[in-house]
Amino acid sequence: MSASNLLSVFLDNPAVILTVGALMCIATPRHLAGVIMLAATAISAAKLHALGLGDYGGIVLFGEEIITIRIDRLSRIFAVVFHIAIALNVIYAWGQKDRAQNFATLAYPAAALGGVLAGDFLTLFIWWEMAAITSVFLVWAPGTRATYVSGMRYLAIQVLSGVMLLGGIALFYHETGSLAFDAIGLRDGNGVIKFSALVIFIAFGIKSAFPLLHNWVQDAYPKSTISGTIILSVFTTKLAVYALARGFAGTTELIYIGAVMTIFPIFFALIENDLRKVLTYSINNQVGFMVVGIGIGTAASLNGAVGYAFSNIIFESLLFMAVGAAMFRTGTSKATELGGLYRTMPLTLTCCIIGALSISAFPGFAGFVTKGLIVDGAGGFSFVIWLTLLFASAGVLEHAGIKIPYFTFFAHDSGKRPKEAPIPMLIAMGVAAVLSVGIGVYPEPLYALLPDQEQIAGYHPYSAYHIIEQLQLLLWAILAFAVLILIKWYPAEVPSTNLDTDWFYRVPGRALITWAASAARATWNALWGIFSGRVNVLMARIYAVHGPEGQLARNWPIGFMALWTAVLLGLVLVLSFLA
Amino acid sequence: MSDHDKNQGNASEKGWADNPLFIRAFLGLLILSCIGVAAASLNAAWHNPHPHFEIEAFPAFFAIYGFLAFAFIVLAGQHLRKLVGRKEEYYDERE
Repeated sequence: MSASNLLSVFLDNPAVILTVGALMCIATPRHLAGVIMLAATAISAAKLHALGLGDYGGIVLFGEEIITIRIDRLSRIFAVVFHIAIALNVIYAWGQKDRAQNFATLAYPAAALGGVLAGDFLTLFIWWEMAAITSVFLVWAPGTRATYVSGMRYLAIQVLSGVMLLGGIALFYHETGSLAFDAIGLRDGNGVIKFSALVIFIAFGIKSAFPLLHNWVQDAYPKSTISGTIILSVFTTKLAVYALARGFAGTTELIYIGAVMTIFPIFFALIENDLRKVLTYSINNQVGFMVVGIGIGTAASLNGAVGYAFSNIIFESLLFMAVGAAMFRTGTSKATELGGLYRTMPLTLTCCIIGALSISAFPGFAGFVTKGLIVDGAGGFSFVIWLTLLFASAGVLEHAGIKIPYFTFFAHDSGKRPKEAPIPMLIAMGVAAVLSVGIGVYPEPLYALLPDQEQIAGYHPYSAYHIIEQLQLLLWAILAFAVLILIKWYPAEVPSTNLDTDWFYRVPGRALITWAASAARATWNALWGIFSGRVNVLMARIYAVHGPEGQLARNWPIGFMALWTAVLLGLVLVLSFLA
Repeated sequence: MSDHDKNQGNASEKGWADNPLFIRAFLGLLILSCIGVAAASLNAAWHNPHPHFEIEAFPAFFAIYGFLAFAFIVLAGQHLRKLVGRKEEYYDERE
């Protein structure tokens, strides 16, 4: 392959275009950086559009064909929404001074985009690790010790996912002789779990935050800066959702895993005081719905999962942006310290409520037009899973639909009277809000992007029964909230730290490592003591013999030397006779 | 006006959401809507033509389930605090 061909392979890649933009931002003043970021996003989007569906950027590496860009209906929809999210984030964080953060604002989404467009495992692995490394700058951005330590934990977990992916790829290549990233499936034809597939599955599972592997999200994301948290909330988990949809669609295990993901974060979100952390639990819950859809694996539920990922990225960002705007003005995102902001931040409130209605899947908003496909698919699979998703939908309404706007803008009056959010934030929130409503009332453009066009052509979200069922569920859940507030049974927020699975490695795990480190140090010291003691004794003996007072250090008389020479010569004579 | 009040600015001022009229109107609208959608669910013509389960046709099933699910999440979920709730500085003291 000629050098110019290789160059075009790189420059054709929208992810590389964004990465180049990110590198340019490092050396650019802040407002110019914003322009560069938007320009890079626009060029990358134009490139994506110009390429159209197909495989591009093929390279032969060690005899294997590598497809660095694969644009099909599954990858394209993620690529499109990633561009929307990048543009919204750049506008929201307009004028950001921190250059490392400016770099990460573009380089991290670029890596996630590269992963989504990867047609083979090797390319996927490279972008997978790039996403881990570039995103940690966002966790570290506030520059405190807590964020540094948290960032290290985050990096360790993300790199672990990458290493497992690489191991899985090696095993997979050994088994199949192929590096193509297509449907893998967890089990072989006999229903036995394939080890290589299992390793890749867990690697994807870590990044999509499966239950018990989920807590890196709550540990790292809310510690970032206001804009950093929003960017982080979009890409890593959705890249993993894409990877699951590509590799493991129709894997039954995913239905159960996803169902658990939709349930447990609800309870943690209920008792959490930090509203940004509430939203990180919401990420787990929302990804759970997508994972269930992927697990069911029918054309309808896959359309549902992917379409829901698209809309979720917009309205989940919108909620993060609204809480971020309140935090920007008041310096806190804690429910106990917020409240009553509706008086002075009406525009942010409006955007927040649109996000809340969208995530709760109210008819007319973005969540409604795709979530139904997943819930309906669950109904076709099992009664318990169907009931679980309905229950989880009430839970979404509780923590994301009500808790976020209620405790930020209403609830008790914090006495804070901040100014409305800055203009760039309002623009970003406004666009996200318009998109949330737009997708809700006119879902056709989103439907046109979905993987299975035949299925979606026959789907009509606004049927009477669908609207009535959904409104019953949501309105009566709101009624339950109103009743609980009126009879004062709704629990007050309390400032607290709630333990989750990260406790295991942050407290006992840390104690174990500290103990192991001091035990290793003590053992080393003891062994060194024994060794150096022996060496000291030996040196003392050598010194005694060879030192200034030693036997071998004395002056030798000439006669003594002559005698020894005679003895040696005699010995040589005897030996030569014998020979 | 006392100094304290001055420092608070117009903090004690009631906004529209604190107006009892708004609260009553909101609750009234909510209750009416709830009754409306539950009543709509009684009309068999508005049922799912391809239901997965018989219970979907049960009058106001989704309403009852939504109400109970929400109440359960709030009433049961708050007890999780006893198990996992610690003071705010919990990790600061340990890391």
